[in-house]
Amino acid sequence: MDIIFNRLDENSCRFQIGPVNTAFANSFRRAMIGEVPTLAIEDVRIYDNTSALFDEILAHRIGLIPITTDLSGYVKREECSCNGEGCPACRAMFTMSVEGPGMVYSRDLIPEDPATIPAYDNIPIVKLTKDQKVVVEAHAILSTGKMHAKWQPTTACGYKNYPLITIGEACDGCGQCVEECPRVVLEVHGARVKVVPGRIEECSLCGLCEKACLGSGIGEEPAIKVSFEKKRYIFVVEGDGSLPVKQIIVHGLQFIKDQSEELKERIGEISGGTGDEKQE
Amino acid sequence: MIPVRCFTCGKVISPAYEEFKHRRDAGEDPKKILDDLGMDRYCCRRMLLTHKEIIDDINPYQ
Ligand code: SF4
Ligand code: SF4
Ligand SMILES: [Zn+2]
Ligand SMILES: [Zn+2]
Repeated sequence: MDIIFNRLDENSCRFQIGPVNTAFANSFRRAMIGEVPTLAIEDVRIYDNTSALFDEILAHRIGLIPITTDLSGYVKREECSCNGEGCPACRAMFTMSVEGPGMVYSRDLIPEDPATIPAYDNIPIVKLTKDQKVVVEAHAILSTGKMHAKWQPTTACGYKNYPLITIGEACDGCGQCVEECPRVVLEVHGARVKVVPGRIEECSLCGLCEKACLGSGIGEEPAIKVSFEKKRYIFVVEGDGSLPVKQIIVHGLQFIKDQSEELKERIGEISGGTGDEKQE
Repeated sequence: MIPVRCFTCGKVISPAYEEFKHRRDAGEDPKKILDDLGMDRYCCRRMLLTHKEIIDDINPYQ
């Protein structure tokens, strides 16, 4: 299995992976979305809120703010030695005290731990007028996306099969398919059509080019055929700022590995083998 | 208040709203502003395009 990156930034990346099957590609996607833990604000203690928003809405908005997470610095509340009571190892504290008039921003959340801060400092939380006031204490805890979407480290995270376009001898270069393609994947080159260099990955497998080719009166079979490589996938992963995408990928893969190893061990316990024996 | 994140994909879109509103009110083409602000997907674009801010209307009745 190899991974080739086309683009890798702090908060988004695009890569191809193969050879893997669909089951693996999908569990990889699900692991990145639902199993990589991040910090998010879960409990909000409201001392004063005279803003136009209800306490619940205010707490909800605060909960959706991504928090930069150092995974080595925190443990999950249920796994912590404090038995879920809350201590510096399993929760990050923030305080916020703002008086109107003016907008309350995410930067007004003052962290206890200077390394654990809102990933964006300019998220508007609520607009206050004169004499309105918000005083809250917020506790962020570590959890995963399967508990609540606010703990997902990813926003857009998905894959598609690697496109494969074959152009047959019958092609007469009429250019109908080029006009129809919404992703500008094709171009006329001499008396034939070909894939624009470097744009094959943009193809969405929509099949409009095949239809256009049939519509050009070529006969029963289109000259252009769109299919995909069964064992190659293109992934797009976008982070919400709480973790760098590189870490999301590494932790997602690590999760799959740990789960597989546990499964192997359990099967070994039941069957009495080590799980490494060759199948007949 | 503008939702903190896009309802559909979860991208944090609220920080872009103030600039979007400012430039739209100045008469700029919303398509260009959204492209500038890095709103690639149409789920995120509609969040900014269709938002109606009412906090200033309800604040006097607090
Ligand atoms: S399948 Fe769709 S995107 Fe791909 S080349 Fe054909 S028309 Fe373009
Ligand atoms: S529509 Fe068919 S015949 Fe015409 S250029 Fe495209 S592939 Fe060739
Ligand atoms: Zn603890
Ligand atoms: Zn979106």
